[in-house]
Amino acid sequence: MQEHGQIVVFLITLCIFTLVLGLVRKRKITEHFAVLWVTIALGLLLASSLGFPYLFRVAKFLGIPYPPSALFLLVIFGLTLLVIQLFAWVSKLNERTRILVQQVALLRSQLKPVVKHSVEVENQLEAGQ
Amino acid sequence: MSAKHQRVLVIIPAYNEALSLPRLVDTLRSRYPSFDVLIVDDGSTDQTQSIMSKLPVRLLSLPCNLGVGGAVQTGLMVALDDNYDIAIQVDGDGQHPPEEIDKLLTALEETGCDMVLGSRFLAMAGFQSTLTRRFGIRFFSSILSAICKTNITDATSGFRAWTRPAIEILARDYPEDYPEVEAILKVHQAGLRICEVPVQMLERTAGRSSIQTAQAMTYMIKVPLAILMNLLRKRETSASR
Repeated sequence: MQEHGQIVVFLITLCIFTLVLGLVRKRKITEHFAVLWVTIALGLLLASSLGFPYLFRVAKFLGIPYPPSALFLLVIFGLTLLVIQLFAWVSKLNERTRILVQQVALLRSQLKPVVKHSVEVENQLEAGQ
Repeated sequence: MSAKHQRVLVIIPAYNEALSLPRLVDTLRSRYPSFDVLIVDDGSTDQTQSIMSKLPVRLLSLPCNLGVGGAVQTGLMVALDDNYDIAIQVDGDGQHPPEEIDKLLTALEETGCDMVLGSRFLAMAGFQSTLTRRFGIRFFSSILSAICKTNITDATSGFRAWTRPAIEILARDYPEDYPEVEAILKVHQAGLRICEVPVQMLERTAGRSSIQTAQAMTYMIKVPLAILMNLLRKRETSASR
């Protein structure tokens, strides 16, 4: 890759690093996801330093005549994997939410007679005083 | 043991069924005074909750809408925790006449099955649903009949009864969206027996069905996929043993 191209990729990588670290610091994203994005940033950095010749080789290997298309293909593949990973995460959260909602409803129904009884006892005590 | 001597819980999943619930509960209380009735309000946005609180039944309010699967599973969790022998699902929209519950209980007792489905297509009486829905129901019923090796004609019927072993299975693992078909498969995969009895159903008295035209397409894709996944999971479990 040409020098100014490498500088642009380096700056983008730096931006991603800074953004991820900032979001982790503010607790907007957890360390779990930060690891993923730091890896992506490192991958970008590595790709930019290895340079253009490798992209030509990859494109040739994949039978793609226009090398930037190979780059897009790889990026789309990576992003697809990321989206699938996020779907798995959302499904897991959905399952956890369902369990929590059910448990809240069950606990509330168990709590209702206890609260009613304590109010009655309180009233009786107040009446006795 | 006869159902008269067993503890029976009637589970009514309800979402915005304020208009039909009072009549349903009245009939249930007068006809089956020994049964406990549990209404699981699935995050209704109408008057369901305030009307429910005036009814002589046990109430459970989900803080947000989980869908019929989540509501029924919550009812089954109560049945499991409180040691009920039999649980019966009756939809809150008034489609399932409480008088027909006797048929489900008799079938549980006489056949020794762990899950009984009320089928509107065995006797071809009462409300039969629309043509497109009947086609979908027949499609899923055929698949389930082949897998379970028993005649199932109304796979999507929400009028069903379970014994304790089936309650134990489903309280822990109940499908979330469009759960009726998959729930039958889960009971079958647990090695329990399923049978059907003819019942008459009515057209819903109020409210809207949870499955509209747009969702019907999702249903037709999701349910076969869920069946396939369940079969694969079962194979993996069997292979790992």
